[in-house]
Amino acid sequence: MLENFARAIRGEGLLPDNQVICPNYSAESAVGVYRNNYRGNLRGALAIAYPVIQKIVGQNFFAMMAKKFIENHPSHSGNLHRYGAAFGDFICALEPGLPYLADVARLEWACHLAYYAQDADPLDLARLAQVVPEQYESLRLPVHPSCGIVKSRYPITAIWHAHQPGMPADFRINLDDGPTIALVSREEDEVRVRALQEADALWLHSIRAGIPLGVATFSTLECYPNFDLQAALLNLLPVLTA
Amino acid sequence: MEMPAALPCTAGIGLRAPHYREVLRDNPDLGWVEVHSENFFDGGAPLHTLLKVRENYPVSLHGVGMGLASTDPLDEEHLSSLRNLVDAVQPAAVSEHLCWNAAGGAVINDLLPFPYTQAFLSHVAIRVEEVQEKLGRRLLLENLSSYLFFARSEMSEGEFLAELSRRTGCVILFDVNNLYVNARNLGVDAKAYIRTLPVDAVLEYHLAGHSIADGMLVDTHSSRVCAEVWALYEFALQHIGPRPTLIEWDNDIPELGVLLDEAARARQYVEDRHA
Repeated sequence: MLENFARAIRGEGLLPDNQVICPNYSAESAVGVYRNNYRGNLRGALAIAYPVIQKIVGQNFFAMMAKKFIENHPSHSGNLHRYGAAFGDFICALEPGLPYLADVARLEWACHLAYYAQDADPLDLARLAQVVPEQYESLRLPVHPSCGIVKSRYPITAIWHAHQPGMPADFRINLDDGPTIALVSREEDEVRVRALQEADALWLHSIRAGIPLGVATFSTLECYPNFDLQAALLNLLPVLTA
Repeated sequence: MEMPAALPCTAGIGLRAPHYREVLRDNPDLGWVEVHSENFFDGGAPLHTLLKVRENYPVSLHGVGMGLASTDPLDEEHLSSLRNLVDAVQPAAVSEHLCWNAAGGAVINDLLPFPYTQAFLSHVAIRVEEVQEKLGRRLLLENLSSYLFFARSEMSEGEFLAELSRRTGCVILFDVNNLYVNARNLGVDAKAYIRTLPVDAVLEYHLAGHSIADGMLVDTHSSRVCAEVWALYEFALQHIGPRPTLIEWDNDIPELGVLLDEAARARQYVEDRHA
C-alpha cells in the first residue's frame, strides 16, 4: 500500500479514497502537498549540484528542465546529494541547440562529487625524492578521491570560471576555443577547476588506472615526446596522494 | 545503550550552510547545534566544517533519509555512512523521523506517514533495533507533520511512538510544531496527544514555523514559531518538563540573528521551567 502512495506522489496514480482520511480538505490536496515536497526537494538538489547550468539558462528554464528530468528519473537514495548524476546526459538529449551545456553539467557533477569526496593524504614530494631510482619505475601513485576529469569539444573550463560568484557579467567566450580537458580537484576544502594539457591528462589517466610510474611515463612520451614528468608531477600534485 | 555527553538542557539551532561561516567566526552564545546527517555523509569538505563547529558546540545529528518505516530493505550503505559520521563527530544525540521514504525500489525524498498498525510496529521496531545496534547507541525518533490519516491505523502516532520506545529503548524527539500542524489539519487533540507520550522517554523538543496555503498548514520551516506553538510548548514543558529545545529553519533562511533571537526566547521558556 505504500507503493500506491508513492505512485500517487509521483503523479502516476491515485490514492484509493477509502485508504486515507482528511477531515478538512480532499485527499488529492493532501497528496498534492507531498507531490510538491517531492518535486521541490529533487529540484533543490539539482539546483545545488548545477548552479552554473542554472545561471546559463535562467531560473525558469532550469525549473522546466528539472521538472522533465524528475519525471523520468526517480530518486534511489535517501541522501539527496546522490541525486542528479544523469543530468548531463539528459541535457544532451534535451538541448541539441546548446551543445556545450551537457559538458558543463558533467563538469559540475564532477565538482559536486569532489566536494563530498573522502579525504586522502597528499603526496609528499620530499618523500618521493627519497625513493631509490630502481624502485621509481614500479611506483604506483594513488589518485585523490576528489579528482575528476571531463573532456569536451568546448572551452568548458572558461565557461565554468566565468559563471562563478563574483565574476563580471560581460565576459566573452569563443565556443571554438575548445577542446578542453578539465581537471577537478579539492584543495583546502575548495573545489578547483583547471585546464589540463593532453600529455598530462594521458599520463594521469594511466596513473589513475594503477599503471606503474615507469610504464605510464614511457607510454605518454611515445605519444607526446615533449612530455615533462617533473612539470606534470608539480602540476598534478593536488590530485596525487601518498 | 549509553549516550555519550547528552545535549545540554537549553536552546540550540538547526545549523544550515548559509550560517556556517558566521557561526565559526563569531562563536555565538548557543547551547548546541543540530545538523542534517546526510549533508555530511562521505566526509570531505562539509565534514571538515562540522568538526570545527564540534570544537565549540555539542552537536546533534538529525537524519532525514533513513526511512525507518519503509517497506524496502534498510539501505545498508546509508546506515554505514551514518555510522562513519557518528564515529567521526561523536554527537550528543542522533535522531531520525518516524516515517518511510522507499517502496517498490524508488525513493521519495520526504518524511512520509504510514498506518499505525501492530504490523508496522513490529516492522519498525526491528529496523530501529538494527540501526541502534549498528550505531551502538539509542536513537531519538521524531513525530511527523502529516497531511492525511490512514483508515487502517489502529492507534495514534503518540501511542505508536510510546510502544516503539518501550520495545526498542529508542527515545522521543517531540516536534511541537508538527503536532500543531496535525491538530489544525487533521483535528488531532494536541493536549491528549502530549499526555500519551511517556514523559521519561521525551528527550528533545523541536520548534519551527509553518506556512498556510489553501486553508492547510504546511510544515515548511520557513518562519518564526507562532504564538499557538509557543503556547503548546509551554503546555509540554508543564506536562513533560524542560528538555533541550531546537529552533529549526530550512526554507527562506533568515539572518543568523533571527534564529539566535528565537533560540533566546526558547531558552527563556526552558530556564523558567528549570528554576
